[in-house]
Amino acid sequence: MTGTQSSRARDHESSATGYEHLTPMFAEMAALPEDDPRRAELRNELVTGHLPLAEHIAARFANRGVPREDLVQVATLGLINAVDRFQPDRGTDFLSFAVPTVMGEVRRHFRDASWSMHVPRRLKELNLAINAASAELSQRLGRAPTPSELGKHLDLSPEQVYEGLEAGNAYHSMSLDEALSPDADSDPLGDTLGQTDESLEGVENYESLRPLIEALPERERQILTLRFFRHMTQTQIADRIGISQMHVSRLLSRTLENLRKGLLTDPEL
Amino acid sequence: MDPIRCGGGHDVTSTPALCLKDCGYSGDMFEGTEDGSPEEIELRIAAVLTNLPIIRSLAASIAMRADFDLDSIADLRLAVDEACSTLITQSAPNSTLRCAFRVSADEIRFVVTVPSTSDSKPSSDSFGWRVLTTLTDHTATWVDGPLGDDADASSPHLVHIELAKRRMEGLPG
Repeated sequence: MTGTQSSRARDHESSATGYEHLTPMFAEMAALPEDDPRRAELRNELVTGHLPLAEHIAARFANRGVPREDLVQVATLGLINAVDRFQPDRGTDFLSFAVPTVMGEVRRHFRDASWSMHVPRRLKELNLAINAASAELSQRLGRAPTPSELGKHLDLSPEQVYEGLEAGNAYHSMSLDEALSPDADSDPLGDTLGQTDESLEGVENYESLRPLIEALPERERQILTLRFFRHMTQTQIADRIGISQMHVSRLLSRTLENLRKGLLTDPEL
Repeated sequence: MDPIRCGGGHDVTSTPALCLKDCGYSGDMFEGTEDGSPEEIELRIAAVLTNLPIIRSLAASIAMRADFDLDSIADLRLAVDEACSTLITQSAPNSTLRCAFRVSADEIRFVVTVPSTSDSKPSSDSFGWRVLTTLTDHTATWVDGPLGDDADASSPHLVHIELAKRRMEGLPG
């Protein structure tokens, strides 16, 4: 999915829904045999063409404590599902099928995908409040805030801040990161990377490490590079990628763990 | 002035301080004890990878309560995880990992020690070492022999990793 494709899709928004030109592709795709390579092309074009729909739905759920980029990802996933499941011969148009599907996906994300353990609602809200305050204070201070600064800002006791921060450790963001395979990656930020290699040389297990790093999902690899080879702080990375510092922390933690596991199981070592 | 009590009703002798009984109370935050000497916290735990979550939670909790900024808390958590995981993979079978934290006004120092059958120290050319040096302000590793009661013929060496994370400059207090 390239930038030119999505901007072309936007040009069509002047018409009634902006998506009419895509409709015939569903019929074309349905008529093709399962293994026709043209199917993948059409599917890709349909998903790309409808991306503004996913962005639009994600925007409706913005500012509820879940980073916007995550919502767009979840909505995009819902869109991909909708494209895959839509049957043009049923007589409904794609939009009336896709909108509830995508919205359902985003709602489900709010409901369960984000927390792996049962965490009382009070703590979830506390954690979200801390997350929001942390982003705001980081902007103002030019660095990550301390728990006492968060407490002062939110008028909370230190114990409450600690509780809220600890609740964040039960937050689970894997589903949305893993659901999108690298092939479905639509993150243009990913294009800015790929220079891991030079800075990695000189590291002893470079040869075993390189394939592991290359196999990482785009965003994980980007975060790893920015932290360990560009020496950016988690807050700076969060700001650059557009997710929360806590989310960066979780992704980084999981990435390092996976790399270690990968190195341990490498028969060369 | 009334004596300071924790939630469990135990006297807390220094402010700010942790209650040393097991009631889970901690004072507002700690940056060492009242007389300025550092706060010491030690954990002994089986040297198995499944214990890593306990160790990193403790590290994060200590840094949080010492009021380090969120980036530093996350960095220390990752670094402690990395250091312990490195040592666990080279520990002697059925051995105990010793994790010692020392919280002073300007830094948290962490030393992890494990008995090992080998006297080789973790490689400073590895990616893991790069992780440690990026995340902390001081990193060191050394090997020595066990002393006194710790002596054990089957694992004659003690491998250590030391890390220090300094409080960010420009923080109030």
